[in-house]
Amino acid sequence: MSVLATIAKKECREDVFTVRGMGLYLAAALVLSGFGLLLVGNTELSLLDNAQAVYMMAGIILALAGLIAVVRGSDGFAGERDRETLEAVLVTPVSGDGLAFGKLGAIIVSWVLLYLLAIPYIWAVGSSGQNLTSSLLYLFISGTALMIIFGSLMLSLSIKMKSFKGVMSAGLVLLLFAAVPVALGPSLRQSAVGRILDWLNPFAVSMNMLDAVIVDSQSAPGQQFLSLLVLSGYVVIAAWILWKSSRRIEL
Amino acid sequence: MNIIEVENLQKKFHGKEVLRDLSLTVGRGDIYGFLGPNGSGKTTTLRIMLGLLAKDGGRIMVMGQNVELQDPEIRKKVNMLPESHGFYSWMRSTEYLVYFGELYGRKLDKSMRQYLLELVGLDSEDTRSIRQYSRGMKQRLGIARTLINDPELVFLDEPTNGLDPKGRRDIHDLLKRLNKERSMTIVLSTHILDDVEHLCNRIGILSKGKMQYQGSLNEAEGVHAPLYRFYFEREVERKNLAAIPGVHVLSQDKGWVHCRLDKNSPDKAVAALVSRGLPISQVVRENQELEEIYLHYTGGAS
Repeated sequence: MSVLATIAKKECREDVFTVRGMGLYLAAALVLSGFGLLLVGNTELSLLDNAQAVYMMAGIILALAGLIAVVRGSDGFAGERDRETLEAVLVTPVSGDGLAFGKLGAIIVSWVLLYLLAIPYIWAVGSSGQNLTSSLLYLFISGTALMIIFGSLMLSLSIKMKSFKGVMSAGLVLLLFAAVPVALGPSLRQSAVGRILDWLNPFAVSMNMLDAVIVDSQSAPGQQFLSLLVLSGYVVIAAWILWKSSRRIEL
Repeated sequence: MNIIEVENLQKKFHGKEVLRDLSLTVGRGDIYGFLGPNGSGKTTTLRIMLGLLAKDGGRIMVMGQNVELQDPEIRKKVNMLPESHGFYSWMRSTEYLVYFGELYGRKLDKSMRQYLLELVGLDSEDTRSIRQYSRGMKQRLGIARTLINDPELVFLDEPTNGLDPKGRRDIHDLLKRLNKERSMTIVLSTHILDDVEHLCNRIGILSKGKMQYQGSLNEAEGVHAPLYRFYFEREVERKNLAAIPGVHVLSQDKGWVHCRLDKNSPDKAVAALVSRGLPISQVVRENQELEEIYLHYTGGAS
């Protein structure tokens, strides 16, 4: 087994065997249950079109994914530093980038688990509607991209900043900043500034892509080529930042 | 041949100088005691020697390689027991060893895991998670981990912390055996002088970020004014003794007088005592205790 896989496997097992790890999934399940109940049970929200409900649920899932990436990324190095487990690992012959990408692999696995957890909820709110398969496919693609982007950025911060709380705070600010364009009003989002902000932000790119696929039924790859290209670009940049910052990891 | 060479090492934290032109050498096969009070810079020095912290100046060579390169080939031959007690507490001891074995590119089979755990006095059949271990058991597991890669050089930061007297003796015996049978070089950072006296052939005493003394324990004793205990046939007045050049009386109890003689000419001082007709019937030269040497160099800091 490669060292990368060894590290990823250990991180995933930590997810299962620690309260800290399982707590995240439990919280995610509670949020999804609450939101799912709102969508099907609330008088006004239940009137929404199925596609619109799936789109809203997808937004919540991506927000949860971003939150998990922030928590897991912060914990990657700064958390281990706080728990005093990092020193023994850094002494081993494993290279810094091997260690960092192993941890990124585990973050992606976290996303896969969240995605599997979320499928029944999406099914519950959108099973009778259209585009369910393509919704799930594009949700998986955009979620994976977001996990790599936020996970890489958070791991990079976690390598450089010493305190877990400090990295978490910075990560939450980053996540809120990423959500800003989504919160802008329709007229502002249609303006030049709004459009630039949209493209500058991988979270907004993902949401716009999901909007087009789920609500507007534009699921052909050619129709989403630009969004996929931009997301891929962000993935490459984030992975490069992680590679650069993990060349030398200090205690 | 030196396995570690450090020259004029400097390190600052937030502008505060914590290591000042520190130099030291560790020979292959040594058990080197790195002594110093809390906060003197021992752990920082070890971390820099392992490439875990960047230095601000100076030169460090470990096994002939610049540690800043973080060469994996060197790391395969080195290991460290950190002072901190961080463990993946949800793992079992065997899982913990297997994980670190894989990080070193080694697959630890059952017999190897059993050997390592029993070497440090842990039960290889113990199915409890590490979080249920006592501090001493964790310390033993940490030592087992440092032996996973069969290292040529081991850094141990306070290895006997949290161990009971028997555990401490077991670890002393183990380290002596590893040093003798496998020619393992051991750098022992500690302020437990008993560990140093039992294990080390060379010591370095660090205080306020500066190396105050480096050499063998015997040499350390030699650089001090020697301590003598004289027995006089009758009680001698202290002032008569104090008047003799080169004699510094420390204490007096009936016929016994405990004094320090001038380190450059102890024989002359003894001759002076004799020439004054003082009735010496017994002279005992005392070995200087490490504690006294340590306190001398560290200015009594704890």
